[in-house]
Amino acid sequence: MSRIYDTIEPNVIDQEMLQKAVEEQGPQEEAGQLAKREGIDFKDVTELQLDFRNILKIDNLWQFANLTKLQLDNNIIEKIEALGSLVHLVWLDLSFNNIETIEGLHALVKLQDLSLYNNRISKIENMDTLQELQIFSIGNNNLTSLENVAYLRKFSKLRTLNLAGNPLCDNEQYSMFIAAHLPDLVYLDFRLVDENTRELAEIKYQYAIDELKQGEAQALAKLEEEQAKQKELDYHKAAYVEYLNGPFLFESMYAEDAEANKLAYLPGIPDLLETYRNKFESVCEKLFAYGLEQYEKRQAEVSTFYKCLQEALAANQEQGTKIILEFENQNVGLLEVVQDTSSFDIAETKLAKYNDDIIQLSDTLMTLEMQTVDQLEEIIKDFERNIADLVSTFIENVQGMMAQCRDLENHHHEKLLEISINTLEKIVKSEFEEEIPDDVRMLFVDKDTIVNAVNASHDIHLLKIDNREDDIITKANSWQAAVIEEVHKNEMARNRSRVKEINQYKDHLQKELDNLESLEPVE
Amino acid sequence: MEALRENEAEEKEEEKKAFKIIVLGNNLRDCPIEFDWSSIDTSQLPASYKINSAKEKMMLHIAANFCRQYTHLCPDRKELFLHPLNECGVEKFVSTTVRPTLLPYPELYNWDGCARFVSDYLTMEPLPNPIEPPSCLFSPTTILKYQRGNCFDFSMLLCSLLIGVGYDAYCVYGYATREMCMMDETREVCPLLKKSKEAQKETVKEKTEKYAVKPPRDLRSKFELQQAAKKEAEIQVAKQKKQEEEEERIMEAEKPKPDSLYGLRVHAWVLILSGKREVPESFFIDPFTAKSYSTTDGHFLGIEALWNHVNYWVNMQSCLNGCKDLIFDLGNPLRWEFMLLGADKPLLLLPNEEEEEELADEDLDNLDKEEEEKGSDMPPSWVEPIQISLKEFETRCPQGKKVIHYKKAKLEKWAPYLNSNGLVERLTVFEDQDCTKVLEVRQWFKNREDLLEMRQVNKITEVTTEYFSPGHVLGLKAHVYKSTNPETERTMEFYNETRVDGLQKRVENACEMTEYFVGRSDFLYYRHTNFGKRTKRVDLFLWSNPRLAQIKECFHRNLEKPANEDVVERIFMISEERILLTYHLQENYITASKREFIKRADVDNKGNKIIMTPDMCLSYQVGSSQEDKKLIHLYKMMLKLMEEEKHLKHQVWESGTEVLEILKIREEEEGASKLTVSIYDTERNEKGKKQREAMERQMQEERQRQDEQDLDYLAPFIIQMGNIEKMTKWQALRLKEDCLTDFKYRLIDKANIIQVRFEKETQELQKKQQWYQQNQLSMTVEDEEAYITYCSDAMFRIRILEMRLNRHKETAPQKYIALEEKLCKDPRLSEYLKLYA
Repeated sequence: MSRIYDTIEPNVIDQEMLQKAVEEQGPQEEAGQLAKREGIDFKDVTELQLDFRNILKIDNLWQFANLTKLQLDNNIIEKIEALGSLVHLVWLDLSFNNIETIEGLHALVKLQDLSLYNNRISKIENMDTLQELQIFSIGNNNLTSLENVAYLRKFSKLRTLNLAGNPLCDNEQYSMFIAAHLPDLVYLDFRLVDENTRELAEIKYQYAIDELKQGEAQALAKLEEEQAKQKELDYHKAAYVEYLNGPFLFESMYAEDAEANKLAYLPGIPDLLETYRNKFESVCEKLFAYGLEQYEKRQAEVSTFYKCLQEALAANQEQGTKIILEFENQNVGLLEVVQDTSSFDIAETKLAKYNDDIIQLSDTLMTLEMQTVDQLEEIIKDFERNIADLVSTFIENVQGMMAQCRDLENHHHEKLLEISINTLEKIVKSEFEEEIPDDVRMLFVDKDTIVNAVNASHDIHLLKIDNREDDIITKANSWQAAVIEEVHKNEMARNRSRVKEINQYKDHLQKELDNLESLEPVE
Repeated sequence: MEALRENEAEEKEEEKKAFKIIVLGNNLRDCPIEFDWSSIDTSQLPASYKINSAKEKMMLHIAANFCRQYTHLCPDRKELFLHPLNECGVEKFVSTTVRPTLLPYPELYNWDGCARFVSDYLTMEPLPNPIEPPSCLFSPTTILKYQRGNCFDFSMLLCSLLIGVGYDAYCVYGYATREMCMMDETREVCPLLKKSKEAQKETVKEKTEKYAVKPPRDLRSKFELQQAAKKEAEIQVAKQKKQEEEEERIMEAEKPKPDSLYGLRVHAWVLILSGKREVPESFFIDPFTAKSYSTTDGHFLGIEALWNHVNYWVNMQSCLNGCKDLIFDLGNPLRWEFMLLGADKPLLLLPNEEEEEELADEDLDNLDKEEEEKGSDMPPSWVEPIQISLKEFETRCPQGKKVIHYKKAKLEKWAPYLNSNGLVERLTVFEDQDCTKVLEVRQWFKNREDLLEMRQVNKITEVTTEYFSPGHVLGLKAHVYKSTNPETERTMEFYNETRVDGLQKRVENACEMTEYFVGRSDFLYYRHTNFGKRTKRVDLFLWSNPRLAQIKECFHRNLEKPANEDVVERIFMISEERILLTYHLQENYITASKREFIKRADVDNKGNKIIMTPDMCLSYQVGSSQEDKKLIHLYKMMLKLMEEEKHLKHQVWESGTEVLEILKIREEEEGASKLTVSIYDTERNEKGKKQREAMERQMQEERQRQDEQDLDYLAPFIIQMGNIEKMTKWQALRLKEDCLTDFKYRLIDKANIIQVRFEKETQELQKKQQWYQQNQLSMTVEDEEAYITYCSDAMFRIRILEMRLNRHKETAPQKYIALEEKLCKDPRLSEYLKLYA
């Protein structure tokens, strides 16, 4: 202890330090010898203590993926960093360091106990994700603002808080304020928050707290509303009919269409547009309802299939387990008997029979598996066909409805064209009396211009409709492909793992047998 | 009418036959009449029992008239049972003998409770003549007093109770089978032995789902299968036939001997009509056995008449088919001839539901009122209200004991607290009809301190089963054993909810013990301990039991752990020093992971300490390609398992000691067999009784003391006088005068004291006021304030004194007069003063 603070050499966390710490803190005595012989994987370590090591910078800790408790107290750490990979951390001790801001903790969602005692922190912040926090120690820091402590209201599980030694503790309202703003807190600065104080505090800060509560409730309600909306939208998206229950498609058709907006100034056009819009929307609504209905249908189909598949697999599992159980019961104690038998011949025949039994068992299991594969293949084929049918009907109907949209558009286009030409004629004959803006009047220079303009608008609309149709169809098709592929993939994986399992089990049994045989000559 | 006549003709024929038999029939009733009804004491009975009121006489007159007309119209039928003699030898109309009464016991609020009470409370007596109704009919109160009666007495009592609680009940006079009339239940299966039909509803919905897998093709020969099925069916049929024959044979053997008086035996029972008290369908109650029968039951062979407390109806329907064809619409005069026109008859065929409901409600409330209202037709009952004390109600059976014989069974009943061991019911089941060989004995207990509820002893297997109510030590629920010695076969069941370890059942014999658990947090549900070969009897459950061979535990799936790390079964082979672990099945896997630890000697051949070698743990890991866990983990696991093993050994030892403890406790309890008394039981709760008595005594004393404390005005003067026994008139007068003068002086003194105080207070106030006026100018503010408060205080005091004085002046004369009166009434003075006055 003769060292002077200034002369301390700052350290970094390196392999050597970690290795040493792990060995020191790992299993002791017999287990320790064993561990030493085998070596310890960093990822098996759950607790690590790195205190009084003059560490300046946290580093190289990413290997400890399963760490739950980490002590870095009494170092000279200045910044919380490189802890992002330690997601299982429950307990983190960073007391007696030189930390100035709270940061880099957002990934530690499981954290329950956090100590930042004796640092230089002046603000509580950046901790929104630590919802599991129960014990928080931030004494001996530079916290000055009482209002900042209200930030801790977020942590519904927080029961113990240590703030002692901060400038804000000098405020005479300190304990009252805390008791009022953190009603679930049980211990403040190592002392029980007594009922009396709490009641007084509640009365004192009633208005402030009520306001806070209202604000929180509003925020929560808003969040919930947004979530509900998002959920609904997701649901619509899954049915490929998002935004079709409103004028969205129609509006998008006109959004990029400058000509149409200009043409809208012509007499009779607004009415025409209105009826067109209504008709178009009703078709969209129909499409929307149909899409949702079909979506439910598809989901039901898929869930029925999976239910049946589960049942079949459960039955198969039961059967397989039964076969194995029978086999094991039959041969229970056989090996012991063989070992104890003095007669070599008898032992030999028994072992031979056992060997045969193993092979037979493996054959039976394999046959069962083959049978299952056949059965499953059949139902998968059925499923595939049904899904294909569903999707193709869906697409057909969507196409039909989209065709209706297109018809409406064509119809509208014709009408529009007619009106435009009439207007043109009127303008040419100077019979047109109504005031129209100049850029609109520009369109009516000759027939080609106006026809082109109307056609351009029409093309844009058709393109939008086509795009939307294509969008739905591609999505539906890709969904079909994905579902089918997943089913096939699962089945394949299942089959493989089962075959592997049977073989493994067979090998295991045979290995046991071999062990026995190899033992025997020695005896 | 035609049919009726036919029936009657037949009856007559039978009657003739019967008269021949009656001579023989007398020895049928071989049970001697132990009780002589003629010897009962009727002198204490009230007047209504002994004489008829004018209304009753009128009623009897109507009845006689009705009877006359009836015999004229139906000369073939038996005489009506209308006005038998009562216990005092007076003719009473049967309807007036019914005394509707509501008793204050909740058990008697429903028909079954009432019927059971009547059947338990009374001893059955056969009719003096089995084919004639009795000549006399006693009042229900007399019947209750002597606790015995024939079927008519039973029915009258039951009917009274049932009408009292609002049922539409009637006494029925008719004919029944011998078994019914003689209360012979030996051909009935005991109701306690009837197995409750388990509603087996197998809701197996074999829903053929859209994607159900097809079963693999059956490659067996269809023809062979058919043949096999055929053969099987034949065997089945043969078996069934044999069984049926057997059953028939037994039925034949058990058939009762033919009854020569069939159809003539008179019986009385109770009919309850639907409607009131939410009775959905009319039915009969046999008062002897308290059983209900449908109105079409074959035991009832005919009905002559029925009555309740308001009217009397004669059956005009044919009873050729027993009671099967009878229709109970008493409002129909073609089927039921009523006696009183005015009495409102139940119109069953046109039920006006609302009205009836109202009636039912009202009935309960104002039965008595109703009775009076209807008094115009039917005179009120001459019988006193039925009263049953709590003690009588609890004792139930005469002398608290009752025996019923059933088919191959005997049921004995006792009143609670009658037997010192709490026995209330015993059912003995016999193997044969003659009840010689005992099969099984079941005993029911009540109010036992050890909470024993029922004991069942199987005499063939010698197995005893005891059932306990919740609350026994260590949560014991049932105990099945052959002998109470330790180390024999036994099963104990427990109320697992009340036990910390969730033990539900423990089965043990000499070398095995199996425990079943429910709802444990470690998911253990089964533990089997094998004690290996028995070597010595001694040190059975010693801590380091050398006999402990194997412990096997099974666990439910713990969903928090992956299946591959969740142990389903672990076997500690203690004698072989091995530990076997089996894990739960993973999803879609058919083999389970296994691990086997072999404990080896701690030293290898070089003398080094072996900690852990790979061959100490054989494992089979399902589905994971990666190599086994590191040795260190295995080592830790093994250490943990060894620790568990130690713990388990202790557990087993504890289980053993627990069994011994329970056995010991049971033995003690059986030896003591104490009964508990509810704190609400004012009769038997000794402690409560004592406390209550003590309290009463205390109150008494308190009262006495208070009496004593009342001042004796005379005492001081009597002392002055000395002898008071020989007081002269003059002396008494002087005594009174003295006392009064003394009191007067006291009153005056009191008034004077108040007066003096008043004056003093006034003077002081005046002085103060003077002083204030003198020094008013030189006073500080505080002094002034003090003066003002003093003044207001003084004024208050003066006012109070004034009021007190006035009141005293008012009350003094009254008090004086009161004392004078009191003295006049004083027993010591009164006689002298009276004379003087």
